[in-house]
Amino acid sequence: MSWFTDIEKTFIKDASLNYFKMILTGEEIKRQVKLGNIHINPFCEKFLNPNSYNYRLGPELLEVEDKIIDPRIPYKTRKIIIDSQKGFMLKPHRLYLGRTYEEIGSKEFVTILIGRSSVGRLGLFLQITADLGHIGCKHCWTLELKVVQPLIVYPFMRIGQVSFWVNYGPKDKKYLGEYGMYSMPYPSKFYKEFKNDTYRRKN
Amino acid sequence: MILTGEKIKEEVKRGRIVIDPFDEGQINPNSYNFRLFNKIKVYKNQILDAKKPNEVREIEIPPSGLILKPDTLYLGCTLEIMGSNYYVPIIRGRSSTGRLGVFIHITADLIDIGSINRWTLMMHAVQPVKVYPYMLIGQVTFWVPKGKIVLYKGKYQGSKGPMESLVYKDFEEA
Repeated sequence: MSWFTDIEKTFIKDASLNYFKMILTGEEIKRQVKLGNIHINPFCEKFLNPNSYNYRLGPELLEVEDKIIDPRIPYKTRKIIIDSQKGFMLKPHRLYLGRTYEEIGSKEFVTILIGRSSVGRLGLFLQITADLGHIGCKHCWTLELKVVQPLIVYPFMRIGQVSFWVNYGPKDKKYLGEYGMYSMPYPSKFYKEFKNDTYRRKN
Repeated sequence: MILTGEKIKEEVKRGRIVIDPFDEGQINPNSYNFRLFNKIKVYKNQILDAKKPNEVREIEIPPSGLILKPDTLYLGCTLEIMGSNYYVPIIRGRSSTGRLGVFIHITADLIDIGSINRWTLMMHAVQPVKVYPYMLIGQVTFWVPKGKIVLYKGKYQGSKGPMESLVYKDFEEA
């Protein structure tokens, strides 16, 4: 157990009857928020679920304008501020980037961001393929949105949920990515690594 | 529990996780970034039938890239041969990929324990988007299972390229 931090050891001791507990319960999320090991700001207790916390949609959206998205070049986006009364209609076949209203992060637990079943039932995908957060990042997360049928969304609606998971193994690899610095919807930065990817150049 | 990047590295060195080729530079805090192989399969017919084999066409992604069109399903695969007899892999795209509007799996992100091969990626684009051979398209996490492990012996074991659905075989059994 040497690779566990003191905080994790306490956590495991607390959960001694269930050593392999992996996902935090709502009550445990609340406790860890109070202990400062999970950062959710603003935090509202009534948004807690049995194993997750419901986050809200920030008011800004980016709509991707390029006809063909090419990862080698930055794409053009149009910024939208969602009207608080009328909302904004998301159209099928379009990619939108939004953000969580809350600042969310943890140095101790791994975050996974998904939609709520209530929005899934409206045909909204939240996070396209990448729902895993990086440990140590604390910011308003960029959300990738896509709808099956046209759907009107509103700012500050409870749109998704975040769960927290226990690590296994030493954690000395720090997050070196850049996205963690941004709290506004942030476009893909693939083009940056294409220049430096020696494997791709050789093959 | 989810393995940290350091633990993934350790287990690759011990041989309890297979990632081949493996590059330490592709490790994240809790996952490993994998590459897109240069072979893609698409179904020949627009309407797919779950009860019958659906014919496919193989395409090689040229170095100049291949445009994925919405409304078409593309079956790709990882460059790396990956798997583990000890941990459960779960795959997903990278956030850079999601921000391009590319799904790299559809509904099934869980890889069976003991399934060691080139994993098929089910690719779908929200808007037209280009992909390039060997780009770092996705990431894999590894999870500690609880209970007795029975290794995968399924129909996709040993895949060296993208594998189309063999679900029609279920109907033959019934």
